[in-house]
Amino acid sequence: MKESLMDILCDPLDKSELELEVDERDGDEIIEGRLIGTVTGEVYPIEDGIPNLLPPDMRDD
Amino acid sequence: MTDLADRRGVNTTVYQPAEDSGLLAKAAVSRVSGRVLEVGTGSGWVSEQLVRKTDADVVASDLNPHACRQAAERAAALRQEGERGFQVVRGNLVSPFRDDSFDAVAFNPPYLPADPDAERDDWMETALTGGEDGRAVIDPFLDAVGRVLKPDGEALLLVSSLSGYDDVLDRAEANGFSHEVVVQESYPFETLTVLALK
Repeated sequence: MKESLMDILCDPLDKSELELEVDERDGDEIIEGRLIGTVTGEVYPIEDGIPNLLPPDMRDD
Repeated sequence: MTDLADRRGVNTTVYQPAEDSGLLAKAAVSRVSGRVLEVGTGSGWVSEQLVRKTDADVVASDLNPHACRQAAERAAALRQEGERGFQVVRGNLVSPFRDDSFDAVAFNPPYLPADPDAERDDWMETALTGGEDGRAVIDPFLDAVGRVLKPDGEALLLVSSLSGYDDVLDRAEANGFSHEVVVQESYPFETLTVLALK
C-alpha cells in the first residue's frame, strides 16, 4: 500500500484513526508493517503490501 | 487437492470476470472520476478497466485473501506496463474507509440465492451467493455505502433480477438514495442492471 492510503483508511471497529508502523518499504510502497487503532489498540497487519483491515472476529488467518 | 474443478484447472477460490463484471465495468468507465472504490474486486479485473479507461484514482477491496493477492498482482502488472495501478485493501464492504472518502463506489455483489442442498463452504460460495434471498450482502452494503461517499458521490451497484430488483430498490430508497439505470442487459436466466445511487 501507498502511504497516501492513510488519508482514507480508518479502524473498521469504530472509524477512529489508525497509526502506521512500517517494517519494510519499497519506494513509496509499504510492504510489511501494521496499522494500529489509536482508540481500540487493535493491530491490523500489512503483509505483501496488502493491509488486512478485517475486524478481528472476521479474521481466519 | 483432487477436486474435479481443480484438476481441470478451474479457479475455485477467486471469482473471474464474467458478463456481470463486463457490465459493471462498462457502466463505471462511463461515469467515474476522482477517487473510486471497487468493493468485492475479486480478480481485480473491473479495477484494471477503470485504471486503463478513466483518470480515476482506484482503490479495490475484498474479503477474500486470495482475491486480494490476485488483484494486487494485477495492479503490479499494470504498473510494470507504466500504467498507474491501483491500491488493494482487505476488508468487509466499506467498513475500513473514512467518511466522505469516495466520488464513486462500484460493487458487483454476490447475489445468487443460496441453494441449501448445494451449499458449500469455500471462497467461491462466498463470492457467488447472497444468502436465502440473494441480498445478504447487498442489504448491508446499501445500509453502509452512503457514509463513505462524498456528498455528490454515487454508488454503482450491479443488480440481478435473481436477487429481487424491486427489493433492492426499496432498500436503496430506505437509505435515502435516488436511483438511475445506467445500463441493463437481459440474459437467458436473468436481467442484469447497473444502478447509479445518489
